[in-house]
Amino acid sequence: MNLWLELVVSGLITGGIYAVVAIGLNLQYGLMRIMNISHGEFLMLGAYLTWLARTVLHADPLAFLPVVALALFVAGLLVYRLCFYRITRTAPTVEVIEARSLLVGFGLMFLVQNAAYLAWGADLRGYSYLTDPVELLGVRFSANRLVVFAFAVGASLALLAVLRWTLLGKAVRAMMQSPTGAQLVGIDTARLHPVVFGAGLALAGVAGGLLSMIYEISPSMGEPYTVTALIVITLGGLGSALGSLLGGFLLGVIEALGMHFTSPSLKMLLSYSVLIAVLLLRPRGLFAR
Amino acid sequence: MKHRMTRRQALKTAAALTTLAAVPGLRAAEAPIRIGYAISRTGPFAPGAQITQEPNYILWAEQVNAAGGLKVAGGKRRKIELIGYDDRSEVETMVRTYEKLMGSDKVDLILPPWGTGMNFAVLPLIKKYGYPMLAPTATGRKLLALKNPYFFATLQQPDVMMEALAEFLKARKVTTAAMINVDELFGLEQAGALEKAFKEKGIAIVEKKSYPIGVKDLQPVLSDIMAKKPDAFIALSYPPDTFLITGQSKAIGFNPKAFYAAVGTAFPVYRDKMGAETVEGVMGLGTWNPKANPAARAYFEAHVKRWQKEPDRWASAHCWAGLQITQLAIEKVGLDRKKMRDYIAANEFDTIIGKIKFKDGENISTPGVVSQWQSGEFEVVWPPARATSSALFPKPAWK
Repeated sequence: MNLWLELVVSGLITGGIYAVVAIGLNLQYGLMRIMNISHGEFLMLGAYLTWLARTVLHADPLAFLPVVALALFVAGLLVYRLCFYRITRTAPTVEVIEARSLLVGFGLMFLVQNAAYLAWGADLRGYSYLTDPVELLGVRFSANRLVVFAFAVGASLALLAVLRWTLLGKAVRAMMQSPTGAQLVGIDTARLHPVVFGAGLALAGVAGGLLSMIYEISPSMGEPYTVTALIVITLGGLGSALGSLLGGFLLGVIEALGMHFTSPSLKMLLSYSVLIAVLLLRPRGLFAR
Repeated sequence: MKHRMTRRQALKTAAALTTLAAVPGLRAAEAPIRIGYAISRTGPFAPGAQITQEPNYILWAEQVNAAGGLKVAGGKRRKIELIGYDDRSEVETMVRTYEKLMGSDKVDLILPPWGTGMNFAVLPLIKKYGYPMLAPTATGRKLLALKNPYFFATLQQPDVMMEALAEFLKARKVTTAAMINVDELFGLEQAGALEKAFKEKGIAIVEKKSYPIGVKDLQPVLSDIMAKKPDAFIALSYPPDTFLITGQSKAIGFNPKAFYAAVGTAFPVYRDKMGAETVEGVMGLGTWNPKANPAARAYFEAHVKRWQKEPDRWASAHCWAGLQITQLAIEKVGLDRKKMRDYIAANEFDTIIGKIKFKDGENISTPGVVSQWQSGEFEVVWPPARATSSALFPKPAWK
């Protein structure tokens, strides 16, 4: 078996997990400059919903994902109306939106996390799903990781296509470049804004549902994922769907190679070196345009 | 969280007082024994703390109170009032809370926080205020080396556990092993102890690697190790990585004769998350199971009844044993903390994990144990005197 191939494939699969975690935040922060630091908490909610569906209703976790997406989308509309509506309305510049939404995001983080503690307690939870090995290019993986990988690629490409080639995508990009300008040319930003935010939460929820198939879950699981998501979208370039997919892959592959040729203990050093290098050489991210 | 709990306590006390007032004969009842603690209800330590520790505190207090309270030496029966706070998995919060409990609230007794690091941080305080503490989730020679007279570690020390594992493997003619460990005080100390034990038993270590906390992928490492075909694989891991290593070893078909992972294997959620068929034959750190003795069975059933979840097969029972010892000491010498300390230090106690005696704060009675998942139960397979089942060796293929 070719060692390099094995390492790269293994890195790509893990990179897919990183990318999945980042997609939702990329919509919210990358496109709308809403620094939703509670991203990981909504991912956790998605994971718990999927876990409940599996253990209480005995539903198929994959088939249940659309329900999770819908639930989180509605939650997203609500959260937007309650928390971010005023901010986006009253903030004079996008920088102010970033700063204020960061504070609100922190509040949401505590609220959602503690609500989960109240509802489900601090215990670790989990279920077994699609753990049978599947062989890919001569390397064996558990099927659930491949599902996540497929979703990461599929969702990123779909998002890319929507943003680049549809009227809706154009409107979203216009809204990001100039909210007032977008309004002037007839884009209904009052409707589009909450929808994009809701879509971001829906994607976070689906990511959580997917991760619950692989990893065990707990109410405090979200924060590390928020950090991962921030690294990935910074690497890839804010707002770039393809960028965060490739950013995730890059991180995964570098970690896999690094863990083999140096020591797994240096993993953090490797990932942060990549981030720092990108920030120094291409401050706007690898795929920023 | 803090406010919620204190209010609940207040309500409970109020409810209790109302009941007492209604029953004339009980009005003269003694004030409750106030026992304080800080524990992680939220944050990264919460899963561990809520599996191994706090449910046991509450169950114990409820059982004692249902029986009419504790018979304090030289006095009447007194009920227990637990004063528990969330330390949010923060060392500073935990230390401040204990400072308040012992310094200004002057509770009668304390129960320990969760985890080696937390216990380490609170040691100077318990010495300063003179509160005995029987800790179920604190291991490490470094802690014992402090020779804190008020500190009693009920869990087996790393070298004791690793020595038992090495003996078990040697008895099965294992000659090669690969090991990985989490880069943290716990993993490092276990790894050091295991290397020493393997050296003495003549088991060659063909690969040794460490990895950081929070790792999301160890497949490259496991593939490397698989290529070296060791007889035994030992992961000195924490819960998230224990799950990860199990899942990924299964995926790549890495199935050595002995597969051992450290913390978390004893958690019922490990079996439930990975599937009972999958974990069949996986070994790990454990001490007991409900089959060990009738008292352990009774504890197990009470725990399931109260919490609708099983206790873990390692530290939970050590936590319960610590509470049993506390209770015995109160019944024997009363609530004088210095006397309690001396009594605990000098005597042998009967607990659900067998006899326990301390020497310089170390539980020297409970031997190193190797446990193994078999048909949904974490069976004790070593030492032979404690075994509840014979070991599955070599490990069956992953299912």
